[in-house]
Formats: sequence, C-alpha cells, structure tokens
Amino acid sequence: MRKDVLIVDDEPAIRRLLVGALDRAAITHTEAGTAAEALRLAQATPAPLVALLDLGLPDRDGLEVVPQLAALGLSVIVLTARDATQEKVVALDLGADDFVTKPFDSEELLARIRSALRRKAGPLANSARRDFADGHIDRETHTVTVRECAVELTPREFDLLWTLADKPGRVVTHERLLETVWGPAHRHDLNYLRVAVRALRRKLEVDPGRPRLIVNEPGVGYRIAGA
Amino acid sequence: MNTSRPANDAERFLRLAQRGERGRLTVYLGMAPGVGKTYRMLQEAARKRAEGKDVVVGIAETHGRSETATLLEPLAVLPRKSIRYEGHTLEEFDIDAALERRPDLILVDELAHSNAPGSRHPKRWQDVAELLVAGIDVATTLNIQHIESLNDVVAGFTHVRVRETVPDSILASAEIILVDLPPEALIERLTAGKVYLPETAGRALANFFTLPKLAALRELALRFAAGSVDRRLLDELALTGAEGDFTVGERLLVAISAGKGGAQVVRHAKRLADLAHAPWTAVVVESGGARSIAGQQREQLAENLALASSLGASLLTVAATDVAQALVDEARNLRASQIVIGKSRRSRWFEWRHGSVAQDVIRKARGVAVHVVPLDEADEKPAQDRDANPWQAPLLALVPVAIAVAVLFAAEGLVPPAVIDMALLVPVIAAAVLLRTSAGLWAALWAALAYNYFFTTPRFTLLISDSANVVTFVVLALVAMIIGALASRVRRQAETSAGVARLNASLARYAGLLGGISDRDETARVACREIGALLDVEAVIVAREGERLVLRGNEGYTALDTVDEAAARWTLEQAVPTGRDTGTLNASDWQFHPLKTSLGLMGALGLARREQGRVIRADDATLLASLLDQTALAHERLVLEEEARQVGTLRERDRLRGALLGSIAHDLKTPLTAVIAAAEAIPDKGIYAEEVRIARSEARRLQRFLGDLLEASRIEDGGIEPRPETVDLTDIVAAVLRDLRQSESGGRVVTRVDPACPLISTDPVLLRHALINLLDNALKFSPEERPIEVALECDDTSAICRVLDRGPGLPADHEALFDRFERLEGSDRVGGSGLGLWIARNFVEALGGTIAASNRAGGGAEFAIALPLDPGAESEVHA
Repeated sequence: MRKDVLIVDDEPAIRRLLVGALDRAAITHTEAGTAAEALRLAQATPAPLVALLDLGLPDRDGLEVVPQLAALGLSVIVLTARDATQEKVVALDLGADDFVTKPFDSEELLARIRSALRRKAGPLANSARRDFADGHIDRETHTVTVRECAVELTPREFDLLWTLADKPGRVVTHERLLETVWGPAHRHDLNYLRVAVRALRRKLEVDPGRPRLIVNEPGVGYRIAGA
Repeated sequence: MNTSRPANDAERFLRLAQRGERGRLTVYLGMAPGVGKTYRMLQEAARKRAEGKDVVVGIAETHGRSETATLLEPLAVLPRKSIRYEGHTLEEFDIDAALERRPDLILVDELAHSNAPGSRHPKRWQDVAELLVAGIDVATTLNIQHIESLNDVVAGFTHVRVRETVPDSILASAEIILVDLPPEALIERLTAGKVYLPETAGRALANFFTLPKLAALRELALRFAAGSVDRRLLDELALTGAEGDFTVGERLLVAISAGKGGAQVVRHAKRLADLAHAPWTAVVVESGGARSIAGQQREQLAENLALASSLGASLLTVAATDVAQALVDEARNLRASQIVIGKSRRSRWFEWRHGSVAQDVIRKARGVAVHVVPLDEADEKPAQDRDANPWQAPLLALVPVAIAVAVLFAAEGLVPPAVIDMALLVPVIAAAVLLRTSAGLWAALWAALAYNYFFTTPRFTLLISDSANVVTFVVLALVAMIIGALASRVRRQAETSAGVARLNASLARYAGLLGGISDRDETARVACREIGALLDVEAVIVAREGERLVLRGNEGYTALDTVDEAAARWTLEQAVPTGRDTGTLNASDWQFHPLKTSLGLMGALGLARREQGRVIRADDATLLASLLDQTALAHERLVLEEEARQVGTLRERDRLRGALLGSIAHDLKTPLTAVIAAAEAIPDKGIYAEEVRIARSEARRLQRFLGDLLEASRIEDGGIEPRPETVDLTDIVAAVLRDLRQSESGGRVVTRVDPACPLISTDPVLLRHALINLLDNALKFSPEERPIEVALECDDTSAICRVLDRGPGLPADHEALFDRFERLEGSDRVGGSGLGLWIARNFVEALGGTIAASNRAGGGAEFAIALPLDPGAESEVHA
C-alpha cells in the first residue's frame, strides 16, 4: 500500500505530532528518524510522493539528503527555522520543492502537503496556461488576465510572471528567477528583479503597497499565491 | 605665543561659567573710614529688596550713625554669634546661620575684619569666600589700605601698617563699587564728628586723615576700581572672542628670598602682574647653602612663599649654585617676560665681596625685563655669614695651615724648597673643601703669610729680601685664593646635587614602594610611614566614607577632634590646604592637603608635628608636593585596578551567562516546537476553547522569548554580520505582517507605505527581525482595540520605518529603553524578555542605521528605524 508522505525527523514528539495531523487529514504516511532510514524508505515500492524533511538529522546533514530524495522522485518539503535564510536558499537550490518555517502552523503545513501531492498525482497538463490566485497567464496567446481584466505586460514582466506561476504557491529563489528571466550573467543583479517585481505588482496587485499576489520571502525568493 | 591661547581661554571660560553658580561678590570700596560705604551698601540692599530679592544683613556696623541705623531698620538682620574668649564675650558674624538661611543676598560689613579666636575662619573674608562657594551673593565693604597687594604702598606714605589685609584673589571676580568723597568733605565730616573713630586707633587714624594722605589714598582707590573694571571687561571680551593678543604670553617671575623684604618684592610683583593681566610664578633658588639657612629665616621664607601663593602666584623651587643663572634659566623656561627681584641697600664693599644677585640677573637676562625693587632692610646678606661667629672662619682656616707648616718645618731638608710653596696649597684646598668658602680664602691668606714668615729669608719675619720670593708670595696668595674659591664651589655643587639626588632617590623609593602594593590600606600605611619619615612629621590619610571621615595609614590616630575634623572636611570639600599654618581653620593641630587625581579628590593627607614651628619647612615644600602627587597617583592606580578587575570579572561572567543562555535556548527550542504545533492542532472550540487559546499564546510567547535569548547570545558573540542586498522595503513590511498573522493579533496592524520609496541596500533578515521586535513591543503595550500603524517613508538621505502605537507612551527618561533587560515600569504584566528592543537596536546599528523612540502627540509611542539610502541601489530599469 502506498504511503503518500515520508516524515523525516529525529524528534519523536514532532514525528508524533505530524503523524496526528496527517491522520486527521487522512493522508497516509511513514516515518524515519535518520537519514539512512529515510533513504531506505524512499526506495520502497511504491515510493512515497512527498518527503517532509527536518534538516537536523543525527547521522547526516539534512541538506545532503535533499538532492538524494529529489533524485528518487520525491517532492521535498523542508522544515526550517524562520531566520535560516541561507539554509532555505541552499535547500531550494539543491532541489527542494518548498519549505515550512518552524514552529509550523499545521493548517499551513497540510495545505503545502496537499498542493505537493496534487502536483505529483496529476502532473501538470503540459498546457500553455498557468492559474494563480485572481488570474491566469497564457503563453500561447501571450495574455494575462487578473480579476477578469486583461493586463498588458512587457516581455520581461511576462517571463517573470510565467516563471512564478509555473510553481504556484512555491518559492522560486531570487537567483533562479534572475537566471531564467535575465540570463545566467545576471543571477546576482537583484535590483533588476526588484524593479521588475514592483512594476508587475503595480499592474496586478489590488494594493501594491501591501502585496498579496506576489509575495517575497526576504533573503530567499518570490512566491505567487496559488489558485 | 598663540599656542597658549586655547588653554587660557578655557580657563577664563571656566571661571566665567563658575561665576554662574558661585555667589557674586559686590565690594563697596572706600579710600578711608567714613566715606559712607556701609550707608551706600544698605541703600543698594533696600533697592534689591524692593525688587523682591531676599536680602539679609549678616553683619553691619552703624558706628552709631543714625542715618545708617534708619536704613538698617526694614532689613532682616541675622542674630550675631556670641563667642567667649578669655572672659570676654565677643559678637561675631554667624556663618552657619547664614548658610542655613540661604538668602539671595547677604550683607557682610568690613571684609578685612579678623574674627574672634575660636571662630571657623580666622578672617571674615574667608567666611565670605565660603558663602560665595555656597552660591550666595555677598555685598561687603572695604577700605583701600586693607588690600594685600597695596599694603606696602599705603604703609609707604601713611607710615601706618595695617595688619588686617584681604588677599587680592577674593577681589578678582568681585564687582567693585567705589564710594568716593572728596578728601576735604571727609575731613569736614570728621571734624563735624560724623565719623566714628575707634578710640584704640584714634591717634593713628587721626594722623591718617590729612589732606595729602587722603588724596593719595583716593587716587589709589580710584586706580584700583578702574583696574578692576578693566579686568572684568577683558574677561567678558575674552569670552566673546573680541580680545586682542595683548595679554597673551605675559608672565612674571619673582625671585623669593628669605629676608623680610621678600614680602615687599612679592607684593610689588603682584601689582605688576595685575597691571599686565599676567600670571606669575614665585621662584626659590636653593643654592648649596640654603639648607643651612637658620630657623628664623626659613620661617620667613615659608611666609614669603605663602604670601605669594595667597596672592595667586604659582610656586617653584629650583636647585642651583648660581642663583642669578638659575633665575634667568627659569625665566626662559617659563617664557616669562619680566623678572622681579629685590635689592637691599648695601655698601659697595659688601657687593664687591658677595656679588649682587640682582646685578648678575640684569647682566645675564636677555630679552627679559628686570624689575629691581629697592628694599628697606639690609637683610639680603648670604645666610652663611649671618649667624656665624665672624672669627670662626679665620680660626678654622688657621688649623690646616698650622699643621702643614709644622709638617714642612719638621721635614725641612727632606723637602726641596721649591716644593714648599706648592705644599702650602694643600691646606688651602683642604679648608675650602672641608670648611666654607670664606675659610678657604682665609687659609690662602694664612698660607701666604706663613710662607713669608717661615720659609723666606729673612726667616721669622714678614720681610722679604729676595725679589723672587716676593713674586712667589704673590703667586702663592693668588693661586691659593683661586683654588680656594674653586674648591668651595665644587663642594657646594656637590652638596646641591647630592641634595637633589637625595630628593630624587627618596621620591623614586617612595614611588617604588607604593607601586608594589595592591591594597588600599597597605598603600595608606606605607604612604604615611614614608612621608612621616621623609618630612619628620606625623602623617595620616583622611577619606570620606559616606558622611563619615575615616583615618587610614597611621594606627596612632583613629579619630579627629572637632576642629581637626572641620579642617579635614574643608580640605575634602574645597580641595585646598587647610589647618595649621594655613589661612583656614588654623586652630587645628593638623595641616591637611588634598590628594587630587584625575578621578577627583581621593582624600586628604593630614600632617602634624609635635614641636612648635611650621609643620612643613620651606625647603620641604617641593618634596611635599611631589609626595602628594605620588600618593594620589598610587591611590588612583588602585581605584583603576579595582575597576579593571571588576570589569574583567563582569565580562567573564557575562560571557559564561551568554553561552549558557544560548545552549539552554537551543535545547528548549525543539520541545517548544512540538508544544506549539500540538497547541495549534487542538481546535479552539467547545468548553476548553479558552484554555487552548491560552496554551497557544503562552507557547508563542515562550518561543519569542527563546528567540530573543538566542539572538542576544549571537550579538554578544559578535556574530551578526549583515549580508546586504537590494531590498524593497515593501517586501519587508509585508513579510513582517505575515509573521504576525501566523501568530496572533496581526489584524490590528495597518500599514502606510510611500510607494515612491527607492530600493535600498540592507540585510533583509536583520531588518525584518528588528521590525518584528518593534511590532511585538507595540502589540504588548497598546490596548487591544487600538490599531498599530507601520509607516514607511523616505526623504533624500534615509528610509524611515515607523511603528506607532496608542499605548501608555514612554516614561520621561526613556534613553535606557534600548538597554538590555530594560522594561517599562509595570510591564511585567505583559511580559517579555526585556531583550527585544536591545536586539532591534543592535541589528539596526549593524545595518548602519539608527533607532529612536519618542512619544506621539495624542498619546502612545513611536519607534523609528532610519536607514541610510544608498544612491546606487536603484539603477536603470531593465524590465
């Protein structure tokens, strides 16, 4: 029988909590206290779809485990501390799908897990349209619609919005966005990105001074609110 | 000489500033008794009273004049203090009552008055000085002849020497109001019986009131008042920077001798210094012979020095054999422009024999003006000739010559005749080196005569037949005299340098002894023992412990009697020497000296001597000054060492505490994460809804607390290194709001963002953290129904992020808010680690920004983070 979620944490108390939350949400799960056990369980057949990974493991650095789990086809959600910005960026760069800040809110955590499971279950239709909160972007027709209104974007803004909307609800690091939209030479020119996001917000947000659609994780990256 | 200006200016400025808190002295100055000083003073007092000032009469003499008595009537008069002395009851000004009463202005008549024995101060001007220090304005009266520096001048033409004098220093910052009356009018008043004359001094005073004398006194008073106005004007000008360079660089040097005339020279120098508005230095040259100055002369020298000091001179003692050269050298060192020196009337013969220091100084001085003050008394003779028996030197000189002659006589035949004259130089050198200069000269004479008598033909006569022997005799006499003079000079130099070396050795030993001790009581003990031995006195250190005085360093003394204690307290309060041989409280057996350090007054050194005479001999004054410095330095070092030790211990303790907190916080973090997640998982519905909510919010609070502890230990380890990147402040504010919404009460926060704010370069993580802490703080303190505002605005140079609440606002003294563990009064109720604002400040400062707190109009507090704008952050748009 398939276990949807692999819980990797060395703290039994946290594991029990996560188990409780997943049970209530009727999500199947399995748990590991070490990196070795986690890798063993990840190779079970059928393999789990999502790994909930705490980076502080007794036998190995959690960051080392991220690419291995990702390579096994799991969607990795990292549990991390609020100010551990570098850790988040590295984990995302190494192939983590998302992160949740400790101490976590179980509702938020379940939402992330469900979203990851959805992506796994029905791989995105290879269509040219991506939906996000309040609107959608269409690569074929090159149109953006927000709250039922068409919006004119420059090519850069369009590329930026597409890169974000391709992973709705998940953080895309600053470097990834710069690399994708401006090219590898500009991966550290953060001010390009900031200026573009400002412009984009002016066109898409209800209140650009209090953004809700394109949200920044300071020091990490941007996230677009999912549909 | 521009280099000395800033220091001078600072000094003057200080003096003027001090004048603000010190009382102001107004002196009604008259040329003689009877001009109406008291009357005028009372008139002014009545006017001040009408202006609403609290005016009190401390003491006023009406001398039975009814007009004066009438003026006195409406004024409050302090009761006088009765002092019993040798069966009489004397009435004196009651200074304690005056200090207690603290009026705006107090009238104290007759500044030059001497207080009855047993009073706090021997002189009334000292009472006045204390009132001024206490910040009370004083008005007083004074006749011109009582001014110390004019004492000689007045005595010179009135032939009446006034004993009660007032030092010029107290008049330096006083407002002088001249009460003038033409001499004719005064004499008229006198003959009309309007001027009361004390019977005791009746004759002297009557002798005083002649037209020419009064005219001279009047001129003196006018000149003094004008000079005082001039000086005050200069002070004001110096303060406003309008002063020219004309007073800069002037300095007087006055040579102090041990004679009575020394005082005259000092007063003269004081007047010259005043005219030039110049500082002045009194120099004593210790030539070799000075240590043998007789007791009486030493007293006189000490008195002359004390007078110079009281008139405002700084004192200096130098050791040298050539007095004139030493004076000229010192003048050059001090960059003095004038030398003042006394010269007594002496015969040419005397001067030819002893030389004249004044003449030598004039000859040697280059670029320095020399004032020679003619002295009345012929007392400037070199000391060694004064009390010695005039026959002593020639008789003593005879001894070595006689021995030499006897030896030569006995050995006649063995000694070649040509050697005899040379051999006779031996007793001359011996006499010059072992005895005194004069003995050397006498020995030279005796040797020449002996040579003539015993060894030249015809022998045993003073006749010389051989012309060659005449030459030999003359040469022998000359050589003997020269050698004698040289030898005695060598001896004196050796003595002087031995004296200086002894002094330096004593000081070095003393400093070395004190330097090795790291305990306060032991330092005091060694200091008292060594000072006692070096100065041949009893020494004790007095320090203040709270209100009490404690004695240290001398087991023989554990308590002071009332007078001594008063003197010690005066020294501790005023930082001036007090007690025996000083001008203040000299009824005390002890003489107290302040131990001044850069950290303030460390205490007082008390000195006493069992026998009569001065506690400190004049030639020990320099040594004492050095010893005081060394003692104070040793005390200062101890205090600093102690502080350093305490700081070291504190720092170590802080470090350990930081490490402990860090590790505890870390260990608590994981279980707390579980607690919070569990509490969040329980639905806050049903009968336990409130408990669940409490568990959640308390767990969150504990989590914040732990976060603060971790951040604090990181800051203490110096572990914050900002990683600046281009940041849109809008993002930071939004992220902070998300953080809050995750916990509780985030909905109360409203934002106001200026969309024109440029991008800035800063560390987003640190800034976000600082802002969260400010918001946490605001949420804690403002009532739940009141919104909290986050405002983001920019000007040309900085981006400002404000957090505004409608809580109780800040206390008046809120500078400490950003300190560690600082909480507003009564804030225990709302809890918190007391670290939040401290962390915020550290983070913001690490970002190069500033953080400030203030009260809002309409209630509540405002916290503002200001970050500098980086002009390069927003470059061209590449969108």
